[in-house]
Amino acid sequence: MNAMDEHPVRVTVTDDLERNRWTVFFRLLLAIPHFVWLALWGVAAFVAAFVNWLVTLVDGRSPEPLFDFLAAYVRYATHVYAYVLFAANPYPGFKGEPGYPVDVELGRPQPQNRWKTGFRIVLALPALALTDALVGGAPSSWSAQGRSGGGSFSYTTSGAGVAFTVACLAWFAILARGRMPQGFRDLVAYCLRFAAQTWAYVFILTDRYPEADPALPRAVEPAPANPVRLALEDDPRRSRLTVFFRLLLALPHLVWLALWGIAAIFALIGIWVGTVVKGRPPAGLHRFLSSFLRYAIHVYAFLCLVGGPFPAFGGRPGTYPVEIELPPPGPQGRWGAFFRLVLAVPALAVNGALGIALLVSAVLSWFASLVTGREPLGLQRLGAFALRYEAQTSAYLYLLTARYPYSGPWTQAADEQLMLGE
Amino acid sequence: MSARRAGRLAALALAAAAWIALALLLWRSSRVPSSLRLAPVRLHDFFTPHQLARARAFERFGRIDWLLSELALLGALAVYARRGPRFARESAAGRIGTGLLLGMLGLGIVWLVQLPFDLAGLWWDRRHGIAHSSYWEWIFGNWLGLGGSFLFVCLALVIVMGLARVLGARWWLVGGPAFVALAALFTFVSPYLMTGVHPLRDPALLADARRFAREQGLPPVRIVVQDVHAETSAPNAEAVGLGPTRRVILWDTLLDGRFGPREVRVVVAHELGHLSRDHLVEGLAWFALFAVPGAWVIARATRRRGGMAEPAAVPLGLFVLVVLQLLALPLQAAISRHIEAEADWVALQTTRDPTAATGLFRRFTTVALAQPDPPGWSYLLLADHPTIEQRIGMAEAWRRLHGGSTK
Repeated sequence: MNAMDEHPVRVTVTDDLERNRWTVFFRLLLAIPHFVWLALWGVAAFVAAFVNWLVTLVDGRSPEPLFDFLAAYVRYATHVYAYVLFAANPYPGFKGEPGYPVDVELGRPQPQNRWKTGFRIVLALPALALTDALVGGAPSSWSAQGRSGGGSFSYTTSGAGVAFTVACLAWFAILARGRMPQGFRDLVAYCLRFAAQTWAYVFILTDRYPEADPALPRAVEPAPANPVRLALEDDPRRSRLTVFFRLLLALPHLVWLALWGIAAIFALIGIWVGTVVKGRPPAGLHRFLSSFLRYAIHVYAFLCLVGGPFPAFGGRPGTYPVEIELPPPGPQGRWGAFFRLVLAVPALAVNGALGIALLVSAVLSWFASLVTGREPLGLQRLGAFALRYEAQTSAYLYLLTARYPYSGPWTQAADEQLMLGE
Repeated sequence: MSARRAGRLAALALAAAAWIALALLLWRSSRVPSSLRLAPVRLHDFFTPHQLARARAFERFGRIDWLLSELALLGALAVYARRGPRFARESAAGRIGTGLLLGMLGLGIVWLVQLPFDLAGLWWDRRHGIAHSSYWEWIFGNWLGLGGSFLFVCLALVIVMGLARVLGARWWLVGGPAFVALAALFTFVSPYLMTGVHPLRDPALLADARRFAREQGLPPVRIVVQDVHAETSAPNAEAVGLGPTRRVILWDTLLDGRFGPREVRVVVAHELGHLSRDHLVEGLAWFALFAVPGAWVIARATRRRGGMAEPAAVPLGLFVLVVLQLLALPLQAAISRHIEAEADWVALQTTRDPTAATGLFRRFTTVALAQPDPPGWSYLLLADHPTIEQRIGMAEAWRRLHGGSTK
């Protein structure tokens, strides 16, 4: 049984990808009543969550009325977000009742560990940070400013998370095609699942930590095959010393990658000209850029703790446990090749958002691996998913393949895009 | 004894004799007049008992901190030399790549082990008003430098392991000179790597610097100021660069009014003395004298681990390097003191102002808490400049020989 199947907070997706262009065009305006109601309910939910925290701390279990009230809020919030982010089409109800195409199942109240309950808000911080990177915007956004010594520092997160970035792109795609791209829908559903699990955890509905593994929700329809695949066969055990110095250890690779990148720019110009003229990428340049991309993925995997071992410098296939498979040179449409940079812009936007999620996941992995000596499986698979998308985007941009990147997290149907060695 | 072994011993003896001859030649290339006898100095004529006690207490802590730090470092590296090779399983990078990983991890261990002692040193310096950096700034502000060190270790290991793969156990024959060439390159470009520097804007001091350079037979030398007052109040200056990149760097803590203009002139003349007497080239020559036999010792010591071509030899090589550096410390300190003494002498000859020189050296104790008379072992191991007592003694000896200003 998959670990995800055991999680008490599950997201089910029964959406058929069909969208009404009119409701999509006006989606934000249509959602205004829901925003107002969500905010009002949210105030009550935070008060209820505090009471729930106190009661669970004493009783070791959430009282049913409070549980139902908060569960309905989490469900309703998920419906609203799914609607606003185009993961579902019907206008959601205002009561958070089950049955929406992107829905949350929460089960019944279970006994909870009092220690985990007592320190819940502190324990939830990593999950909240990842939720922020995955969803973005309220209610998971936060910002802070501070002053230290003579200088000041400030940092702000939130805004465009993965789901919001995808939704912006989906708006155009749906208006053009009348359908939500499956990869986009699955990606948003994954982000919402993690957010729902996080808020269920924060509201003391469960003491089970949110699961970052993007294995679920499973796709309703088969995902399109992509010739760029990623295999993860890494042992999650980590040496704490190599984890502690990970950034410094990656420095020679980053320098080498930058130097190689200079040559890659010229190769990219060459392959672009060659593909536009011949309708097929020149084999030598294809090989060169494939090695470069493979090496870059090895380095990113090492840097972000998705992979454990120190990678080799050559980018040869089969040398690293986080490995990408790239297609041989094949025929490509000349127009598609000519406008490749423009066509790649949406994929680059999603890739940027996933890159932030990867960064947050890497920071969390760093702390977790340092404490436990193991890379958390969920974070590792999230990282692998982000790297797979990075590989597909780069391969498309570098004209190694004409296949557009598939943004859905790996699912039952898309297993062939990300092979897990367990 | 076999003929082969006898031949090796003879070659070793010949090499040792050549080393000693070259070292003597270098030693004699920089010197103060042999007739000079340092004047006896009664410290109580120059410092109050409180000043002496404060400087002694300040440096005592630093010495203990250093001693403990070195002991911890040796212990940690000895363990790493033994157990480090097991980190090879954390690598998918082939022999040289794995060697880089083990080298960088070794450097990381050095950093980790020394961190508490460095922080203790910072605490002590902050307590005495010498350092101004916060602990947070100190740890994170140094990450860039630490990253540079990691990259340098990688470069060094690529050279060593690459040569060892090609030349086997004789890699040191090319490796030693290669490191000397690298050191020369670094000395040449180092002025361009410095941050927070700007040209000196004091016209009087600039005019003096031009005159001093001319008197010492130098072309005009750039004098620049480095802003360090946010991190430290310690005064310092240095001569850097080779040929066209030569320049003198004054820390802005020398120019904040605590030192008189005449005292700063002595500093400038001293640093110009390093350039006019080619001390940086001499330093490179000394480095070559240590680097080549040092590389040979490392090559010999790592034979049982398969030589430096094997990643498993890297932790041991690192340990041997640190041990060699510790063993060479007294000699290196003596060489440095010898060179600094000549620069002091050149400064006195140029400025003809022993009073200013004495004032400057006094202030090193009253301002920077330099102990005028460190204990013998500390002097032998750590003193890279003559003691304050010796420097004042030289200034007074110069005065006895030439008269000179008593302004």
